[in-house]
Amino acid sequence: MNHGRARCSARPSPDWGEPVDYIVLAQQIANGLVNGMTYVLIATGLTLVFGVLHIINFAHGEFYMLGAFFTYFAAQLLGLDYISAAVVATLAVAALGILANRLFFWPLRREHEFTILLSSLGLALLLTNGGELLFGADPKYVDSPFADSIVQAGQLVVTQQRVLIFVVGAVILLALNLFIRHSRMGKMMRATAQNPEGAALTGVNIRQVYTVTFVLACGLAALAGALVGPTAMIFPTVGSWAVLKGFIVVILGGLGSIPGALIGGLSLGVIEALAGGYISLGFAQAIGYAIIIIVLLWRPQGLFGTARRT
Amino acid sequence: MSNRIFLPLVIALALAVPFFTANTYFHHLMVLWMLFSLLALSLNVIIGYIGELSFGHAAFFGIGAYTAAIVGMNFGLAGIPGLLLAAVMAGLFGFVIGYVSLRIVGPQFAILTLGFGSIIYTITNYWVDLTRGPMGISNIQPLGLWGEGGVALTGARGYYYLTLFLVIAFAYACHALLNSRTGRAFIATRENAPLAASLGIDVFRIKLLGFVVATAVAGVAGAVYAHYLTVITPDVMSLQYVAALIIMVIVGGRGTIAGPIIGALIYVVLLELLRALGPLRLVIFAALLTASVIFLPGGIVSLWRRLTGEETKPREAAE
Amino acid sequence: MNAETILSVAGLTKAFGGLTAVKDVDLELNRGEILGVIGPNGAGKTTFFNVIAGSMPPTAGTVHFKGTDCTGMRADRMARLGMTRTFQITSLFPALSVIENVRAATYRFTKTGWISSILRNGAWRDEEAAVDRAAIEALEFVDLAHRADANAEALSYGEQRRLEIAIAIAAKPDLLLLDEPAAGMNPEEGQRLVAMIRGIRDTGISILLVEHHMRVVMGVCDRVAVIDHGEKIADGKPADVVNNPDVIRVYLGREAVNA
Ligand SMILES: Nc1ncnc2c1ncn2[C@@H]1O[C@H](COP(=O)(O)OP(=O)(O)OP(=O)(O)O)[C@@H](O)[C@H]1O
Ligand SMILES: [Mg+2]
Repeated sequence: MNHGRARCSARPSPDWGEPVDYIVLAQQIANGLVNGMTYVLIATGLTLVFGVLHIINFAHGEFYMLGAFFTYFAAQLLGLDYISAAVVATLAVAALGILANRLFFWPLRREHEFTILLSSLGLALLLTNGGELLFGADPKYVDSPFADSIVQAGQLVVTQQRVLIFVVGAVILLALNLFIRHSRMGKMMRATAQNPEGAALTGVNIRQVYTVTFVLACGLAALAGALVGPTAMIFPTVGSWAVLKGFIVVILGGLGSIPGALIGGLSLGVIEALAGGYISLGFAQAIGYAIIIIVLLWRPQGLFGTARRT
Repeated sequence: MSNRIFLPLVIALALAVPFFTANTYFHHLMVLWMLFSLLALSLNVIIGYIGELSFGHAAFFGIGAYTAAIVGMNFGLAGIPGLLLAAVMAGLFGFVIGYVSLRIVGPQFAILTLGFGSIIYTITNYWVDLTRGPMGISNIQPLGLWGEGGVALTGARGYYYLTLFLVIAFAYACHALLNSRTGRAFIATRENAPLAASLGIDVFRIKLLGFVVATAVAGVAGAVYAHYLTVITPDVMSLQYVAALIIMVIVGGRGTIAGPIIGALIYVVLLELLRALGPLRLVIFAALLTASVIFLPGGIVSLWRRLTGEETKPREAAE
Repeated sequence: MNAETILSVAGLTKAFGGLTAVKDVDLELNRGEILGVIGPNGAGKTTFFNVIAGSMPPTAGTVHFKGTDCTGMRADRMARLGMTRTFQITSLFPALSVIENVRAATYRFTKTGWISSILRNGAWRDEEAAVDRAAIEALEFVDLAHRADANAEALSYGEQRRLEIAIAIAAKPDLLLLDEPAAGMNPEEGQRLVAMIRGIRDTGISILLVEHHMRVVMGVCDRVAVIDHGEKIADGKPADVVNNPDVIRVYLGREAVNA
């Protein structure tokens, strides 16, 4: 569950007695925002699937894992450069989303919600362990020309890769937002989210909505994996790490809310970075969960969303 | 009626089994089966009786195991008091976590328990002073009747009888539950919470009660496990174990007593038989879970009932 | 409020955002009385029930039950105080057998817990016997004893509606709230229902009945209150209410024709 991910950011930890070093603070916030953007990409797919289809997809993190590994193999086996490999991997995993939907989610759409949750747990275990079988358990590194070059802004230092994560993430989210707001399919998705039966009656093709939602969600997760790959080791069990982060973010922001995922993800990234920098790394791992508890005590439906109460 | 003959026969067989072979590895597997049965039965109270999914059950197993190991190590309390303390500790955590999370039901509750389980797992990993971190605690003393000295349980056969006793006792408690006011309230809550409330059942309290009992029993299982293996690492709380427990309950048959015990047997046996396959066996477990969820929602037990032609009462407890 | 009053509602209001579903309703119910609540679709009858029974808190007003102020009290506490209800949309324990459905309803007057059932002590044995008796009695009352071992979901629609009533009376309430029990029943089943409701009252249970079928309402109610757009517009003897011009205008004008 806990994959102590080595990130190549320095973590100076000032003594408590000293005055706050604003450069260090800003550096940590910048790192946090980048990590947070990854969380946002992961959580957006999770929240989209829940918001539109009312499905909690436990296997969501596995598509993140596949995104990273496909990028690795596309570069290694097909000899593609990093950008092309990332695009191919994202598209390939998005296509896998169609398959996952056809085999695991669409056929169970009328079943009890636990059936779907459990079958997605089954899918998660299948993909993790299948990944271990196919890719080997040892960690791999995705090569990226941006991983070692840095961008300097004043005294802040960030690798190009991390700038790429943030920029691509922001652009994709903007595009997704436009798509959901203005495209025909986006409108059908929103109608389905509101009322699936009603949507079906007014001619919305529910089957198509399922497909597109899963393609988008899996593609977003894979993109996150492809982007983060070069900044950390990847291994087949990383999916459970990803889905846990995703869950923390959606609980924080409210399940089904995309703005919630954005704010929740960025906040979690920053809070973790600050906790890791100023308190301890172990604490950074636990703090995300601690935040969930506090938020839920105060607002059980999350900051933006709704949850069923007893 | 056939239960009158069948059940004593099964128990007699279970008592006699260790004498069929002197193979201690076989005895070891029997202990594991019983421990997993106890755990699966406890998780079944949550999944099968109060009708919620918990993805955090392994954490309570871990709390029990660590409590037993730590009080054994620091205070020499390695006997029945240690077991009780493990139950109380796990139940206390269960109470607090249940109290916070059970206000929310359905899939969101499942995720909340996953979050709590992860917190406990993470803390266990990082609070090195108390838990010795990822290396875990080793050289845990064997289970004595009352602290150190006196009669201590060593050898798999002794632990087998202890765990068998615990499984029979808890299975009986579950059976009794279903014929009680409390048990009817559990099932009513699971089947239709608003209707249950309209009949005077405090749905939240009933769910909390089930959750606390389940977590306390998981704590006992953890304590016995720690004393038996004499080593314990945070890995017993990992997602792997969470998934394993869910697989046992679902594949065996939720809401029944035989189901989780059979599920635990399948898990232990397959784990052994497929040992050579490495990661592939986990793929097989995952496939088993998925197939069971989709094609056999009542689990193996429902298959048995279907074969014997008894009327199937879906999701109702086997009597 | 006198000793004869079992339920007293004053100024009860329930608003959903801008929509006021129940508006300033006053109502009193005497012990042993059958009070009908009628009104057009969407008038707020079910909401009125929900607020009284504690399924949702009121926006304003008070509810007194058996002399206790129960305003805003949760549904399960209301039930333990002695008020049970049925739901407009069929609500049972579908996967359980008919007898188990009814046994679950005995919760409010039983006491022994899990420990007693483990010990199998005398208190537990006596109580289980009482539970069985109450369950069988309730099933016999609604003429479902012969279906005791069937699964609830295997029952016909009419049987399911009777099972709901059996569940509600197996709880031995003092006040029973019935939300359109005759919905979807044919006239013959409706007649049986009328007899059944009278029978329930004769065991000492007071009844608040929401119903669309005028034949059922006129046949069984001692008194009828009419709700329209959340407001109570009439309250009195069935015969008087039928002749009330306001009522005829908003409600009976349409329904009386085919009643
Ligand atoms: N939970 C709710 N949230 C918002 N509006 C509600 C809710 N419940 C009921 N309403 C609205 O309140 C009004 C009254 O509804 P209610 O169900 O109480 O009417 P009713 O008299 O029982 O109607 P019917 O005869 O159709 O059963 C309706 O306009 C309904 O849409
Ligand atoms: Mg109504």
